[in-house]
Amino acid sequence: MKLINKNNFISIVCVTFTLIVCGKLILEKITGFVDKNYTENIFMCLGISILATFILSLHYYLQRFPFIPVVIGQYLALIGFVFLGIWILGHFTENSPSAYHDMFVSVTIPYVIGAVVYYISYFMEIKKANEVFKKLN
Amino acid sequence: MKFLKTKEENLDENYLELHYDEIDSETAAVLERLRPALKYIEGISDGKRVTFPLSSIFYFETVDRKTFGYTSNTYLEVKETLQNIIDDHKEAGFVRISKSCIVNLYKIKRLQGDLNMRTLIYLKNDECIVMNRGYRAEFYQALKHIQEKKHETN
Repeated sequence: MKLINKNNFISIVCVTFTLIVCGKLILEKITGFVDKNYTENIFMCLGISILATFILSLHYYLQRFPFIPVVIGQYLALIGFVFLGIWILGHFTENSPSAYHDMFVSVTIPYVIGAVVYYISYFMEIKKANEVFKKLN
Repeated sequence: MKFLKTKEENLDENYLELHYDEIDSETAAVLERLRPALKYIEGISDGKRVTFPLSSIFYFETVDRKTFGYTSNTYLEVKETLQNIIDDHKEAGFVRISKSCIVNLYKIKRLQGDLNMRTLIYLKNDECIVMNRGYRAEFYQALKHIQEKKHETN
C-alpha cells in the first residue's frame, strides 16, 4: 500500500511543516533563544518538509530491497540534499559557522526517532498477529 | 436448526455433517457462510487430474509462469493465476504475501520478523515462506477481517 501518494502529499507536507515549526517555536520559547534569521529558517523548514516527504514517499518503490540499506540510503540522500541546500544558500547569504552541524542534528534526531518508531511498530504488529494466530489455531 | 459440537480425540481431520429433510432458509444461510471454506480446486498432480479442498491448500506460488498449490505433503499445478485465486477465494483466507505467492491465513502457525523487516511465515507443516514489506498492510487487513468473522461466528 502506498502511504504517501499524489493525493495526500501536500497534506503530509503541511502537517510535517506545522509540527516542525511548532517544535521550533516551543524550543525557542523554553530556551529564550531569539532567531535572527527567522524568515530564512521558516522557509528552510518548509524545504526540509517537502524534501523529507518526497524521499520517504520513495520508500514504496524500494520495498523489494532490504530495509536497513534502504533506510540508511534514504537518510544519506536526505542529509546530502540538506547539505547541498546549505552550500548553495552560503553563496547568497552568510551561513552560521555551525550551520552544517545544526542541520545534521535537526535532520538526524527526528529521522532516527521516526525509524525507531517504525521498527518497533513492525515487531509489535507481528506480536499482535501471533496472538491472533494462537486464537485461530 | 440444531447445532451439535462433539469433541473427538485423535481425529485425523475435523468434519461437518448435515442431517436434513429440507434445506430451509436458516440452513441455507449457514451453508452460504460455509461456502468459501468448502470450495474445491482442480489441478494436476503427478500427471493425474486431482481435486483438493481449497481449505487444505497452504499456499500458492507462481514459478516460471505456472501456478502451484501446496498442501501439507503434496502439490498440484492449477490453471488459475494468483490474481484469479485472490479474486475468487479471498473469503477462504487467501492473501498475497509477495509478487509470486499467496498464503492461506488459516494455515499459519506464527510470524517472525527479521532485521530487514522481511516477515517469515511459519506454516502448520513447519514450512517457512517470506512476506515482502510491500504486502504487510494487505496481510494485516485480511487477518483483521478473519478475526472479525471469527468474533461474529462466536
